[in-house]
Amino acid sequence: MRFLISEPPAVTITLHLHNVLRQQTPAGLSSPASLTLPAGTTLAGLLARLQITFPADALLLVVNRRTVGPEQILQEGDTVHLMPALAGGD
Amino acid sequence: MTDTFFSIWRVNVRSQTFVREPAPASWERLGGRALLARILVDEVPPTCDALGPHNKLIFAPGLLVGHMLSSCDRISIGGKSPMTGGAKESNAGGRTGLQLARLGVRALILEDQPQTDDWWVLHLSAQGARFDPADGLAGLGVYAAAPILTERYGQDAAIALIGPGGEMLMHAAGIQNLDKDGAPSRIAARGGMGAVMATKRLKAIVIDGGSGDKPPIADQKAFNAARKAYNKALLGHPQTTVYREYGTAAVARMCQAFGVLPTRNFSAGEFEGLEGLSAETLRQYLTTRKGCDPSHACMAGCAIQSSNIYVTADGQTTVSPVEYETIGLMGSNLGIADLDAVARMNAVVNDLGLDTIEVGAALGVAADAGLMAFGDGARGLELVEEIRAGTALGRVLGNGAAVTGQVFGVKRVPAVKGQAMSAYDPRALKGTGVTYATSPQGADHTCGLTIRAKIDHLGTEGQVALSRGLQFRTAGFDSLGACMFASFGFNADPAVVPALLKARYGWDADEGFVDWIGRESVRLERQFNRLAGLTPADDRLPEWMTREPLPPTHAVFDVPDADLDAIFDF
Repeated sequence: MRFLISEPPAVTITLHLHNVLRQQTPAGLSSPASLTLPAGTTLAGLLARLQITFPADALLLVVNRRTVGPEQILQEGDTVHLMPALAGGD
Repeated sequence: MTDTFFSIWRVNVRSQTFVREPAPASWERLGGRALLARILVDEVPPTCDALGPHNKLIFAPGLLVGHMLSSCDRISIGGKSPMTGGAKESNAGGRTGLQLARLGVRALILEDQPQTDDWWVLHLSAQGARFDPADGLAGLGVYAAAPILTERYGQDAAIALIGPGGEMLMHAAGIQNLDKDGAPSRIAARGGMGAVMATKRLKAIVIDGGSGDKPPIADQKAFNAARKAYNKALLGHPQTTVYREYGTAAVARMCQAFGVLPTRNFSAGEFEGLEGLSAETLRQYLTTRKGCDPSHACMAGCAIQSSNIYVTADGQTTVSPVEYETIGLMGSNLGIADLDAVARMNAVVNDLGLDTIEVGAALGVAADAGLMAFGDGARGLELVEEIRAGTALGRVLGNGAAVTGQVFGVKRVPAVKGQAMSAYDPRALKGTGVTYATSPQGADHTCGLTIRAKIDHLGTEGQVALSRGLQFRTAGFDSLGACMFASFGFNADPAVVPALLKARYGWDADEGFVDWIGRESVRLERQFNRLAGLTPADDRLPEWMTREPLPPTHAVFDVPDADLDAIFDF
């Protein structure tokens, strides 16, 4: 009998971290970064994996230029921006 | 309960006479932007010439001004705008609001026009108002004029002054105000109020707040408790730290992420040179260069400190502040990826007393006309120096993006009601596009910026309601004298504003007060605009934005006209 052993399916994303979030992720993670994650990873899962302490409800989660929710499942090739929700100035 | 501390100060600049009078009952619970709108409707003929004797220049501190409550001492300055032809309120930080409040000024109303071309300084103190000749000040930039004025009137006075741009009646002229450290850096920039001040022949207004008193507080204990709750919410908010460390420049990367960063005269929403303009780069400069301050408060008592003092690498230029809107309009919008180049133009435009948003947008249009190459910061600096010199080209640029487009035959002009857009392309940020189109103030992000909202900015659904709510909320904060970032403290606990008002004035205000007074502001401004001749045709983005796709999202502005027209059906 032969067993087919395969790697778990994975997706690769490009991650951009904004301002203070660069100080809150595992040391050595630069921005932008290419990350390979298990298929089915949500944005909430990504935040947990990055150990970001910034309150999630004060963040904007932007995937492929659209604001999305933490339940969004990441897809191969996604461009993800994680940013504090700011507004402009004078 | 009638507030007897505050009164209306009415100055006739033609007869050089002054009266103090109680506020009419209908003005009593209004301040800042809402009071301005009320005075415009009650006293200024809507069809008057904005640069003529029937227009009035009004200074109105917000309702919470006078107590060094963090981020809540802003001054609203307004009148009929020569730029939009409608109601204008432009607000600024610095000392002006605080010191007017300490003189008991609910509103300062400047009326009429002198018959001669002499320039004057209006001096206000507890003793009243007087006019001094503005000897040696005419023609000076604000950086040269401010030290002369503080030498004459003391280091502690508040000063509101105009630069050469105002003196030349440019529609992009604002009114500069001294910050807490005495620098003339806090400009009520938008809509041409500097030109209106020039028609009153006032180079400067000096306010000796030290001769007055702190405004009374009906219940000091309750006020202290409300202040404590507000400060706790403000300082505990995660965004406060971001603003203190990175300032508003952090918005540049946000805009890049959404594809709304104005690039090469609004022809794209993404700029390949972002890293040269980013908040991270700015912070690196601010924390390593001599003379810089990465976290500067523009008003005494401000806990956020989102402003900065920037010095170029060669040490030759110091400017405060370098803000996102300037970075967007004078950086990416001109194809310039160098913060020093932006800072040099910023410094000149500040010195001229002009609006960096308007001039940046005008330069973008000028670049489209072939007057400068995108990316050429040296040429950009030459062009703003043309404004100082008062050449024909300089005067065109100093009158803003719309005039520049008309003169040079450029159709891609990012303006509404004649006023340039802030640094957010509305095609891919549609709620802000609704604000630009329908705000009575013309295109202005401070009237309802939607970028923080958790909404699909590329879709049309929900954008009108989002914009409407934010337009009311921001007008409400403008009426309190609160910086837009104070909202992080106020929104955390809706009971704080009513508690502060109750403690300060003894009024019973409910938790809907901010939205109520904001709504009243917008209603009155729209009433004024309608009588001034503005129509639904003025509540539109430029038509090219509905046809020309914006790379990289390829979005066009497609919120239906009927929805724009119905936004304020209340």
